[in-house]
Amino acid sequence: MFMCKDVVENIMEYIDNELDLETLKTLEKHTGDCPECMAFVNTYKRMLEITGKLKDKPFVTPEIRNRLKILLESKIKPI
Amino acid sequence: MEIGFIKKLINVIVSNESKSSATDEELVSTYLRTGDSAAFNELISRYADKVYGFALRITRNTSDAEEVFQEVFLILTKKLDTFRGDSKFSSWLYRVTANSAYMFMRSQKKHENNLSLEGYSPYDEEGTLMGKIMYKDWSSRPDLIVFNKEAIKIIDEAINDLPESYRTVFHLRDIEGLSNDEVADVLEISVSAVKSRLHRARLFLRDKLSDYFYDWRK
Ligand SMILES: [Zn+2]
Repeated sequence: MFMCKDVVENIMEYIDNELDLETLKTLEKHTGDCPECMAFVNTYKRMLEITGKLKDKPFVTPEIRNRLKILLESKIKPI
Repeated sequence: MEIGFIKKLINVIVSNESKSSATDEELVSTYLRTGDSAAFNELISRYADKVYGFALRITRNTSDAEEVFQEVFLILTKKLDTFRGDSKFSSWLYRVTANSAYMFMRSQKKHENNLSLEGYSPYDEEGTLMGKIMYKDWSSRPDLIVFNKEAIKIIDEAINDLPESYRTVFHLRDIEGLSNDEVADVLEISVSAVKSRLHRARLFLRDKLSDYFYDWRK
């Protein structure tokens, strides 16, 4: 029998469209009948949308760049 | 490496320009073939944020991350010619970053308890979800709410609460957008280890975010 557990353990393949048709149908039948699993799938997808946006977070400040510049320059001073 | 070349390189690091549409590997090969410093500089400007971001994800500390960041660029000025194209340039650079970060952490005697999340799952022994997910469902909250500054900070902290071996996989795969194969290549682990760590990391984070958004509404 297809359980919530099977939704959870197949979620990565489900999101990536890698499930075979039969498993896909069974999974979607379960989520259609199980609001807990539906909420699980929806929050899981939403989480990936959010964390994907962290990619654009700027990291290197002008201060960090400047300290790197000073460091590299100090390494190439003539002996 | 000649001084004039390194000076040009430094200027590009500081100005953060990015203008070429060539792939990373084309740039590396151009540089290795002709010594064209512009090609090298373009690579640097593409990867400064990625190197620092990954170092920060491993060390979880801005001053440690900066030390690693500097070390990686020092290594690059000396060792780009050891890149031979067996893997993607980005994978190679992420690997240099990870190894530098691990070395730094060891030298600082900063050891992290690397807990296993292998048993981590939201269902009970019968395989049924435990009843709080729908109650705490936050998936229809508008972007304005879930992408606010405080939420992003909490999400970032939740990722940093992951044990190190899960955190690096999650960062590369779900934040940086590498494929499973690329993550396996960077971290020198199997693709099945990548998938398994990613799976547990996502389950852990989904729970954390649900708690956060649920508490926040109250
Ligand atoms: Zn279910």
